[in-house]
Amino acid sequence: MSANPSSRDNQTTHFGYQEVPLEEKASRVADVFHSVAARYDVMNDLMSMGIHRLWKRLTVERAGVRPGHSVLDIAGGTGDLTLKFSRLVGPRGRVVLADINESMLRVGRDKLLDHGVGGNVEYVQANAECLPFPDNTFDCITIAFGLRNVTDKDAALRSMARVLKPGGRLLVLEFSKPPSPLLSKAYDEYSFRLLPKIGELVANDADSYRYLAESIRMHPDQETLKAMMEMAGLERVEYTNLTGGIVALHRGIKL
Amino acid sequence: MALTSTLLLAGLERTINALLARDPAAPSRLTRLAGQRLLLRLKNPELALAIHYHPHGLDLLRPEGIADEAYDAVVELDAETAGALLGGASMERLMFQGRLGARGRLPLLEATRDLLLDLDLDWEGELARWLGDIPANSLAEGLRRLGRFGLRTREEFRADLSEYLVEEARLLPGRAQLEVMRDHLTELEVSADRLQARLARLHRRLAEQQAKRVAP
Repeated sequence: MSANPSSRDNQTTHFGYQEVPLEEKASRVADVFHSVAARYDVMNDLMSMGIHRLWKRLTVERAGVRPGHSVLDIAGGTGDLTLKFSRLVGPRGRVVLADINESMLRVGRDKLLDHGVGGNVEYVQANAECLPFPDNTFDCITIAFGLRNVTDKDAALRSMARVLKPGGRLLVLEFSKPPSPLLSKAYDEYSFRLLPKIGELVANDADSYRYLAESIRMHPDQETLKAMMEMAGLERVEYTNLTGGIVALHRGIKL
Repeated sequence: MALTSTLLLAGLERTINALLARDPAAPSRLTRLAGQRLLLRLKNPELALAIHYHPHGLDLLRPEGIADEAYDAVVELDAETAGALLGGASMERLMFQGRLGARGRLPLLEATRDLLLDLDLDWEGELARWLGDIPANSLAEGLRRLGRFGLRTREEFRADLSEYLVEEARLLPGRAQLEVMRDHLTELEVSADRLQARLARLHRRLAEQQAKRVAP
């Protein structure tokens, strides 16, 4: 998550609704994901009532990936997008599943191996702010429900733009702000009252899911993220609101 | 709206893959097709659908930003032709009639049709996986017997109902009576037509005679 300009002098950023030292955020986010990794898929299904699968499916469709393409799935977590991409790029292409969190990466790798995915997928533990790849490497980059956890989002978007090939696409699937006040109110009630309870019941971890709700509220809205992507050097940036704007899919092209 | 069509496609893909997983012949066919891509363009309603084959089934996606050349075969057809194709109509005939446009590797379209139409589900095998061989066989036999009993009962019920309505309650005529009545009606119709023609002729003759009498 990018440092708040007002608090940059004090080197703090937000971790959910808390202000924490800049260097502390990554480790606290890591703790959250170490804690939820084992039950991440179950919780995703429960929390979104399975709709996250449709959001991801739409992301794959918009990615326009073809056989032979190189795809980078940042914050790929348990590998939902990588699984689809690995079929689409075929044996001549490659998909890199990158995640900063070792536990998530391990769960993702095991899941993909169980699905018989192997030959064209690589696993890399990497920080999105400084991706360890040469310039102009990938035809497509996706980051699904990961950008809000990044400490410096602007640096991450610049890094993604750097490793994207000219003509390549960056797709950012992330929670956003519902334009309807009524839906927004209902969503708040769900996020702050029900979500931590589900987290407590299923994963025995209410705090991590409270962080999830808070981090969503601290994430930039649709227009702000679009401007950030343009600032990072992407062009023709557009977004699609999904499920009333609870989630938005941003797409930009490197020209 | 975007999610509704995504949901429908996801449901369709899941159903087809679940069916393919239960067909013992599907794996070898899918292995041959794996990695190939077919683009279907449907007219009325306007719909484009990309089918990507992989060794375990297929992915159905809406093509976005991908040129037609990236597909192994592109097929253009309307809903009626799609129905005819899935109903077993000859692909060549549909193409000669101009109802089916196709370019690229045409055997891929044929293989797709065969894959879907020749599905032979081993549902007893699937039951055996869950229940064990002997219980699954007993259950399958029971279900088959139940199916045969259902068919026989339906036929008997239809015959009994027909007999009651025609013979006992006499609410409806029998088929033979219906045929006789239809013959009588046809005969009556023909007779009425003839009578009408004869009357018209008499009217014409009367008019001619009256015209002769008036004339000097």
